[in-house]
Amino acid sequence: MRNKEPVLDDGEVEYEAGPESCWGNFEDDDVMQQQFSIQDDEAKKFPFVGDKEPLSSLAAEYQSGSPILLEKIKVLDQQYAAIRRTRGDGNCFFRGFMFSYLEHVLEAQDSAEIDRIKANVERSRNALQTLGYPELTFEDFFTLFLEQLEDVIQGKETSISPEELVLRSRDQSVSDYVVMFFRFVTSAEIQKRSEFFEPFIMGLSNTTVEQFCKSAVEPMGEESDHVHITAISDALGIPIRVVYLDRSSCDTGGVSVNHHDFIPAAGDLPSARGSSEKNNPFITLLYRPGHYDILYPK
Amino acid sequence: MTSSSNSSRKTLSKIACNRLQKELVEWQANPPTGFNYKVSDNLQRWVIEVIGAPGTLYANETYKLQVDFPEHYPMEAPQVIFMNPAPMHPHIYSNGHICLDILYDSWSPAMTVSSVCISILSMLSSSTVKQRPEDNDRYVKNCRNGRSPKETRWWFHDDKV
Repeated sequence: MRNKEPVLDDGEVEYEAGPESCWGNFEDDDVMQQQFSIQDDEAKKFPFVGDKEPLSSLAAEYQSGSPILLEKIKVLDQQYAAIRRTRGDGNCFFRGFMFSYLEHVLEAQDSAEIDRIKANVERSRNALQTLGYPELTFEDFFTLFLEQLEDVIQGKETSISPEELVLRSRDQSVSDYVVMFFRFVTSAEIQKRSEFFEPFIMGLSNTTVEQFCKSAVEPMGEESDHVHITAISDALGIPIRVVYLDRSSCDTGGVSVNHHDFIPAAGDLPSARGSSEKNNPFITLLYRPGHYDILYPK
Repeated sequence: MTSSSNSSRKTLSKIACNRLQKELVEWQANPPTGFNYKVSDNLQRWVIEVIGAPGTLYANETYKLQVDFPEHYPMEAPQVIFMNPAPMHPHIYSNGHICLDILYDSWSPAMTVSSVCISILSMLSSSTVKQRPEDNDRYVKNCRNGRSPKETRWWFHDDKV
């Protein structure tokens, strides 16, 4: 969700530009400016990452709404214990991914996973260098992510608690830098494998792979699509489950909730101990059109 | 409404300061062709000379860009305007404001002062006519309270120029 943009669904905000106008060509520009800044302020009232809430808080949102959605939430309730919301600022996918991943590492304390992710981070760094990105543009973001990764490892002087992880995820100077780190990693992966991603990107936006990365991946606040999720999952070797909560009903009467697992292409998976949980994503995000939140399985 | 006059700008964060120092070193080692920047002691405002590229409408003309860096650079875009007199161009207003997406919504920390300068010169070079935007007077009047171009809601309708 990107609250800066005109909200066409509600029919409240809509504007047109004159044919040769460079700026919002409204009768009363100041009123529009104000309206956008109110929408921005609304989004900013919610922290980047919220508290863990019971799934019933999701149902409460739809009490007087779509019966299909309420049925689907009942189905979700059987599988998931809690939801953690993210701010709707266009960065919600990366923000949810960030929190969910760091929380997993903090809880699992799996040193093999930490080594594995570090190796993939270095591969991304090399990819950016090969693509011609000046080191000074991305190094601070890489450093900040690696610091967070070190700090969730327990038993050190710098170790942080789960509560501290929540606070850091709400601190713009940490949170936005980690989101931007993921944007660099995503962009590098898409450009490195541009032949693979090109058909998907052409379908989405009819631009070149490079233009897509410059305009839809690298700027903060640009929403994530299948392309972004596939790329970050592949680049870091982290499987991600996305559960879809929308009004679509299924073929044969009974209500079910669709999900899609993004499984890294390289076969470089975490917890590679040959168990059946090998491909089981430990990150689950709830997708509602335009927005991602974090889900906690039971 | 807030208007960001330059006097009320906050000083650069530590991370912004470090980043700009690195950009400065890089600029001095590899200045982009067509630009001159004389280093001053003000890291937060760069005044950069632009020389119109040979073979274009602006050949041999010299203009000045004023680049102001916000507290949270590079997470936030720099404010880039032409100083008076601004070049006559269909996307450059007479008050120096520039209609170019990367300066606003499409800004990304992956960009640098140097890459922004190159984009602006390329915008000048591809112009086929020296004229102001059609709505120049109305826009400039609207900005009289000192509004920063970063507070304008820009429309980027024309990717040819």
